Amino acid sequence: MNQTSPVPDAAEKWEVQLRKGSLELAILAALWTGPLYGLEILRNLESGSDLVVVEGTVYPLLTRLRTLALVDSEWVESDSGHPRKYYRLTDAGRQRALAMTRIWARFSASMSSLLAPLDEEVNHQLTTGEKP
Amino acid sequence: MTLTTESQKTIEAYLATLRKELRELMDEDARDIVEEIRAHILDKTSGDDSAQAVDATLAALGTPRQLAVRYRTDELLQRAQLSRSPAMVLRSILRWATLSFVGLLVFVLSGVGYCVGGILVVIGLLKAFLPGKAGLNIDYDPGHSFSAGFGAGSGPHTGHDPIGLWLIPICLVLGGGILLVTFRFGSWSLRKFWRPRRVASTLAVEE
Repeated sequence: MNQTSPVPDAAEKWEVQLRKGSLELAILAALWTGPLYGLEILRNLESGSDLVVVEGTVYPLLTRLRTLALVDSEWVESDSGHPRKYYRLTDAGRQRALAMTRIWARFSASMSSLLAPLDEEVNHQLTTGEKP
Repeated sequence: MTLTTESQKTIEAYLATLRKELRELMDEDARDIVEEIRAHILDKTSGDDSAQAVDATLAALGTPRQLAVRYRTDELLQRAQLSRSPAMVLRSILRWATLSFVGLLVFVLSGVGYCVGGILVVIGLLKAFLPGKAGLNIDYDPGHSFSAGFGAGSGPHTGHDPIGLWLIPICLVLGGGILLVTFRFGSWSLRKFWRPRRVASTLAVEE
C-alpha cells in the first residue's frame, strides 16, 4: 500500500471486490437475450458496461455457473474452423438473474439515499475542480 | 485460419501445461476446459497471430497454473472425488434419493445391483468354504418334474450340481462385475444429474 495516499489504494481494492461480486450477475445478464460463447460474453460485458473483465476469471466462472445448473453449454461448429462453446441460461439461471436483479435494485436504492449527501460533495468537487 | 508454427507452438505449450495443472479434475471436465481456452485463444488471435498478439492473449488469461487454480472449484473436485470413492457415492446417492425422483430411482437400481452382486459373491464364497451347502441344484425326473435351484441352504439336495466348483469363479466374477457396474452407474448418474449445491445456493440468494 502506498504510504503517502493510502485512501485511493484501499478504495481501488474495494472496487476490485465490488466488480468481482457483480461479475456473476453481469454474466447472467449478458446471456439474458440469447446464447453466447465465452469471447462474445467478454465483449458484451466490456461494451455494455465499463466493467474491465479479466479474461482468466470469466471462463472458470462460466464453468461454475454450469455446475450450479444456472447455465447450459453446447459445442457448436463455426466457420472459423474450430468449435465454440455456447452458453445459455437455464430456467434456474433466469430465476437467479431476476432474484439478483431485485436484490441489486433494492440495495442500490438504499445506498443511493444514504450516499446522497456525499454525492453532492463529489459533484461539487467535480464542478469546482477542487481536490480532496 | 492458419497460425504461424511459432505461435502454434507457444499456444500448444500453454494448453499442455494447463492440461497438466488440471489433472485433479475428471478427464472430461479437463478436456472441455482446455478446448474452450483453445477456442478463445484462436478467436482472439484470428486477425493477428503475431508473437506479441499471442503473448498478450495468454497473459490476459494468466499463467496456466493461475488459470487452473481458478477452475479447481469445490464442485469440480467433488465430481472428481465422486468417481473414485464408493463410500462417497453411496452416501451421496442416499441423500439424493430423499431429494428427487431421479435420485430415488438411482437409489433403487443401485440397491438391486448391490444386492444381486453381493449375493453372488457370498454364494461363491460359501461354495469355496462349505461346498456341500451351496451350489446349483437341478432336480430332473424325466416325464414328471423339473426344478432348478440355485443358492445356499442347509437341506439335503436331491438334484445334481452340473458345474460343481466352477461355481466359485463364475459367482465371484459375475458378482464382482455387477458390483462394479452398479458403482459405475451410481457415480455416473451423480455426475450427470445431481447438482449438489443447487438447493443451498438458491436459498442463499433468497435470503
